[in-house]
Amino acid sequence: MNSRAAWLLALLCVARCGPALAHSAPNSFVKLSFLAQSVRAEVLVPESELAYATAAERASEPFAAYLLRHLAAETPQGAAWKVDVRSFSHTTYLEHAYLSAQVEFTPPAGASPGSFVLVDDAVTHEVRNHVVIVLALGAANPELLGALQYPARRLAVQRSAAIADTRHASQK
Amino acid sequence: MKKRWLVTSIFGLLIAASSAAQAIDESCTKPSAGNGQVAVVMAAIQDLEKTLSAEQRKSLERPFVRDSAIRWSNLPVGITPRMGLRLGDLDEKQNHAARGVAAAALSACGLELLDEIRIADDVLKAVDERKIGWDAGNYFISVLGTPSESKPWMLQIGGHHLAYNFTFNGGREGATPLFFGTEPIRFSAAGIEYEPLVAQSAAMSNLAQALAKQPAAKLSGTFTDVVKGVVVIPVPGKMPTGGTDTGFPMSFPTGNSDRGILYGALSPAEQALARAAIESYASLPGAAITSPLVAAYESSAALAETYIGYAGQPDLGARGSYVRIDGPRIWMEFVVQPAVADNTRLHYHALWRDKQSDYGGEIGH
Repeated sequence: MNSRAAWLLALLCVARCGPALAHSAPNSFVKLSFLAQSVRAEVLVPESELAYATAAERASEPFAAYLLRHLAAETPQGAAWKVDVRSFSHTTYLEHAYLSAQVEFTPPAGASPGSFVLVDDAVTHEVRNHVVIVLALGAANPELLGALQYPARRLAVQRSAAIADTRHASQK
Repeated sequence: MKKRWLVTSIFGLLIAASSAAQAIDESCTKPSAGNGQVAVVMAAIQDLEKTLSAEQRKSLERPFVRDSAIRWSNLPVGITPRMGLRLGDLDEKQNHAARGVAAAALSACGLELLDEIRIADDVLKAVDERKIGWDAGNYFISVLGTPSESKPWMLQIGGHHLAYNFTFNGGREGATPLFFGTEPIRFSAAGIEYEPLVAQSAAMSNLAQALAKQPAAKLSGTFTDVVKGVVVIPVPGKMPTGGTDTGFPMSFPTGNSDRGILYGALSPAEQALARAAIESYASLPGAAITSPLVAAYESSAALAETYIGYAGQPDLGARGSYVRIDGPRIWMEFVVQPAVADNTRLHYHALWRDKQSDYGGEIGH
């Protein structure tokens, strides 16, 4: 099998062999979209790993309330942003069951929405191998902004020029 | 290892320590041509190249750059395609020559592990018919850079459940990253019983069981995979990328909190179990590659700062069982996960990293 054949096999897997990805414990993803006054995020949390995290805390509140205890944003100087969990739904990604939350982060008056500190330990406070992968949407391909793994729970996020340009282009 | 299932609980932990050490020796029944000596490995590569077509040589030879070096994984080939010369595409003469390269670089234990992990993939192919790449043929060999007795280059041998990454002439010793795993844990093929990771699972479980009575050894949290392994990155609407060592270089725990118990706090018998566990991993590459690392890991100064921790069941009998050796340089993990082809069973992942010399210290951000 040459590399082309290997990639064709990989593409075939998109449709037919998702469960094999269970070979890799599923991670969380935070997909950020930068708006003029706020930042919207799709927060994808794998249910299998979330179950370990909530069990460890004996947490029984609704998912949105749980998420608000573990997800936040701050200015680089430490001022809290407003966080709204607008909705959430169950979904699957590559055959793993996920909770998908639509979240809006709004900076305090005068703060730029292009620079903040994302705080997330919804799963990582318990699952030691779990990784939160933070991506910026808007460009042709998502831009990897960084990742969080225990004990890290804070990631400095800076909107890049590429993302900003794409946003302006899409508004024209 | 063939027909070698250790039953340690009968004999007690002290005997288990010697059993684990003996297990490693007994497993090395196949000859190793070079034990990792660079000149012998280079000669074996030259012998292989003589058997290849120009196109095959292009597959074998890749640049020694970060993007090539980090392209190893613990995912099947259908999920994370590998680069290099595919062993399943070689004719008998070429396969013999490729095996000569492996025999030159690996110890007898390491060569046997390569053979048995590949057989395990063929066993899975019969159990799980999804087109995801279970196949003993889906193992690859690559030479990164130009083989030399003085300048840095890499040899990679791996596939679904194995990643040998050996760097020669690097700024540091180059045995790691070294990932290995198996599903099934035990199996029979052509009338022979196999348990590829028996030496490492026995050594790690012996160690964890010995330490289980000491609260300081217990790690907090849950472990569903190795901690410093590969990461899959999602691409909306597309196949995810990554599944390789994109997170390198890694950060590691610091301080003395939640890292387990210090080696110096262990009894002599427990310390022997810890060293046996280290050597069960370090015995896989050829001695020329691995000996300096074992010496570094087992120096008095290094052991004085080495922690051993576990989580889950110390006997490694359930998912989430985890053992880790974490020193100034050493990072060895062993985790028990649900099996994938048959999720009523279990499978193992193991990872050896060196905090200073992954990729021979030659690969940066």
